[in-house]
Amino acid sequence: MKSKLSILAIVAVLASAIYTNTASAQIYRPMYFNIDWQFNAIVGDDYADTPTGWGMNFEGGYYVTPKLAIGLYASFHTADKHIGEQLLELSPSSHLFTDQIHSVFQIPFGALLKYRFVEDSMFEPYATLKLGTMYTSTSSTTQVLDFYDEQWGFNVQPEVGVTIYPSAHKRFGIHIAAYYNYATNQSQVLSYNINGINNVGFHLGFSF
Amino acid sequence: MFLLAVVFSACQKMPDIEQLSSDLMVYTHYDNTCDFSQYKTFYIPEGLVKLDSKQPEPTYYTKDDPRARQVLEAVVSEMKARGYVQVSNPDDADLGVVMAYVKNTNEYIGYVDPYWWWYDYYWPIDYWDPYYPGWIPYYPYPVSYSYTVNNLVTEIIALKDIDNGKKQIPFVWTSILSGIETSNQLNISKAVSGIYQAFEQSPYINRNAQ
Repeated sequence: MKSKLSILAIVAVLASAIYTNTASAQIYRPMYFNIDWQFNAIVGDDYADTPTGWGMNFEGGYYVTPKLAIGLYASFHTADKHIGEQLLELSPSSHLFTDQIHSVFQIPFGALLKYRFVEDSMFEPYATLKLGTMYTSTSSTTQVLDFYDEQWGFNVQPEVGVTIYPSAHKRFGIHIAAYYNYATNQSQVLSYNINGINNVGFHLGFSF
Repeated sequence: MFLLAVVFSACQKMPDIEQLSSDLMVYTHYDNTCDFSQYKTFYIPEGLVKLDSKQPEPTYYTKDDPRARQVLEAVVSEMKARGYVQVSNPDDADLGVVMAYVKNTNEYIGYVDPYWWWYDYYWPIDYWDPYYPGWIPYYPYPVSYSYTVNNLVTEIIALKDIDNGKKQIPFVWTSILSGIETSNQLNISKAVSGIYQAFEQSPYINRNAQ
């Protein structure tokens, strides 16, 4: 009997310690950071619409209330697409026969507003709205020359996701998110015109 | 965050150029006000100018050089197939065809002043100069292209339409084949294929065009 009481006492102390740590994490660690691998696809324009995982996402925020955070974000992504040989009409009187690899390199960055629906839970679903600017380098690589156009535009990215904390300490978590991204960037390369960029994708990474 | 974005620019994944075809890149441009069916004859010099910025004077692939012969024959066969008759005297020709192999130069033909390089470097020593001394080429269309290395340039001149008052030699067609050198050797088979492609994408060059 004495032994059972001792075990219960130890469990109670440990539980108390975990609870205290969890609570203190909420009080003293109002900041969060995400580092993610990014898988992205450009949709609505076939210039370089091959989905690729050549990107990363970084964001950090500060919880101004237990559920609402503000922060900053930046990410990068490259989409490539081999076009093959074709004849392009550059103007009514000029033509170019060439092979091409189309590429769109995007760097959106700016500020974010994040709302988590629950707190103090292993699973923290959330929704984020990111607003900022987007740098794009749109290029066509041919056998001989690179043609490219660099542009800046306005960028908006709604995102939903969940942060999963395997341990109750909530020091490290797994981050999963899906997003849609629109940028106003307009590009012209050879005979191609891009008027705004739409992206869909997901993030998979770590939160701490 | 902005600096982070700048740093990210180094993270761009470079395209895999191994995917690209080994064929030439073929660019053509023409005077779309020109009626190519009004011409009957053409003249082409029996040689190929070779331009190399590392050499002070241009050199030539003569008609005895198989490299020149093959590319010239390709152009001649295309012109004849489109109904034009080859003549041996430029004074009797409606059209003139000139070719140059640009081996190594960083000169640039620009929109604003499209003929300065040709005037200073190319034309005064070329075949037409004895017939039109001091004249300058005239492009009725903007020629904007970077001549870097290994380009075969073919141009058609409307000799019939030369303006004696302005002393201008009117160019009506430009073709640039890029990437024709392999391992520092002029790749003739690619050049010939490129010439065929240049004419294929220029159906308006036709004596019988409507």
